[in-house]
Amino acid sequence: MALITVSGLTKSYGSRQVLHGIDLNVDEGEILGVLGPNGSGKTTAVECIGGLRDRDGGSVSVAGMDPATDPLALREMLGMQLQQCRLPNKMRVAEALDLYSAFYADPRPAGELLERFGLSAHAHQPFGKLSGGQQQRLSIALALIGRPRIAFLDELTTGLDPAARREIWEYLRLLRDDGVTMLLVTHFMEEAAYLCDRVAILEGGRIVASGTPDAIATATGGQETSFAADDAIDPDTLRRLPGVASVDLDRGRVVVRGDADSPQAVLAALASNGVTARQLRVTAPSLDDAYLSLTASAPTSTTQEGSLR
Amino acid sequence: MTTPTAPTTATVAPPRARFAKAYAAHLRSESRLLSREGAALVFGAVLPLAAIVVMSAIPAAREPLADFGGLPVVRTYQPTILLFATSVLGLTVMPAILGGYRQAGILRRLRTTPASPATLLAALFTVVAAVGLLVGALIVAIPALAGAGLPTHLGWFALAGLLSLLAFLALGTVLAAVVGSPQVAAGLGNVVAALMWFSAGLWLPRQLFPDWLVTLTDLVPGGAAAQAMLDATVGVQPSWQPFVVLAAWTVAGALVAVRTFRWE
Repeated sequence: MALITVSGLTKSYGSRQVLHGIDLNVDEGEILGVLGPNGSGKTTAVECIGGLRDRDGGSVSVAGMDPATDPLALREMLGMQLQQCRLPNKMRVAEALDLYSAFYADPRPAGELLERFGLSAHAHQPFGKLSGGQQQRLSIALALIGRPRIAFLDELTTGLDPAARREIWEYLRLLRDDGVTMLLVTHFMEEAAYLCDRVAILEGGRIVASGTPDAIATATGGQETSFAADDAIDPDTLRRLPGVASVDLDRGRVVVRGDADSPQAVLAALASNGVTARQLRVTAPSLDDAYLSLTASAPTSTTQEGSLR
Repeated sequence: MTTPTAPTTATVAPPRARFAKAYAAHLRSESRLLSREGAALVFGAVLPLAAIVVMSAIPAAREPLADFGGLPVVRTYQPTILLFATSVLGLTVMPAILGGYRQAGILRRLRTTPASPATLLAALFTVVAAVGLLVGALIVAIPALAGAGLPTHLGWFALAGLLSLLAFLALGTVLAAVVGSPQVAAGLGNVVAALMWFSAGLWLPRQLFPDWLVTLTDLVPGGAAAQAMLDATVGVQPSWQPFVVLAAWTVAGALVAVRTFRWE
């Protein structure tokens, strides 16, 4: 059952329309990734769904409540981690947890969160002295202190080093195992592919693709088959194969791009020509490629929009 | 962690109890944070108190002088020192903290919780005002304990001091509301505070002001509060005018601040 339902969500800032009718469904216990380039409306969408901004049109239901009419009950069950929100530099970790626990009816014990987020040793350190990763971990801990059923996490690993990022991902996986439904705003494809059950790609205030990371990657991105170059095979032979889109020579390797069936066709062609494919590599289509091809159309669509006005 | 449970509406505390709990937590937190902000308190509390302690320690400053209308020197300085403290707390400490909270996204973050950021504002007001009241009380009490006596009309003196604190807090919040950067807001606060000190006669005694300057400075909180406190000190019944001026600035400042303040 969908815990979050959004349909036809629109929002403008002055004369600039930021959201052009967003439709989203997030099922209970699911992690939905919202991807998109800067300025695509990700944060605005999350803020409208979370009730921090008034929407212009459309309907939003979060656990059966409308954020526009029922904000207080929503705050109690929705934990939000926002971009660029800090704590006072001189506030200590344990003090922050203590303060935020006073806001909720049934808060999680601070000790449990400190341990869970690896902050026990830093409980008495001021926020300003924590590393970026520790600050983000505290920020997530604060978002979860009220035992929310739903958590919105906006670019929580931006600016972190890869090790710290991995660490945060592990925490989020544990949370999902607890049954927390999450809406994750990110611009890291790797993060989305690793964590999200489904992703929605936002571009120019519209959702241009949604589905499981694999499905999006396969639908849009292509298979890539490559092997050490061999004079016995003519690139043109490969180019004529069904499903092959391109054949290139790159640093001593033949690189064939094509649809899902293209690797089979290439291997069959090599075998029938008596060529052994050495250092053969077939790479799965990546979400990265899909994302880039989906969002690359951005300038065109904005121009079209401009000419319509 | 246990399985997250959704609080039902029945377990949600009524708004008043909820506010009281969050307010008490903010109060503890803001008191702790302010006590760690040494620089903010040096000008608003330590310096004025040092001045009053030093003056009270000098025997000559405690003796009544015919040149000062039979008053000890330390008591003629009480209004100025008190206004210095309240203006620094209200006009520079308040906008610096409040603007800093907004800039760091602290108020925005609080909007996502069941507690409104207004609760933090209320707690911050309480803590800064409490510091102002404590400093003001000491500025009155220390010379008295040293033997220089209390202001002649203690009640009027205290009322003028309290109203000056409220007026400066309201104006400091207006500065935080209309100026985006906390550094600029606090800097402007310093300029406004300096004008208040001038109006109060810190650099040039008000007795030496030409008439037009007296009329003008009577209309600003610094001048109005100084006049009321000086009258109360020398034993003249203060007129109602300075109190109306102070109350008007407080109310107008509070209204403008509430209308213009943005959480982010």
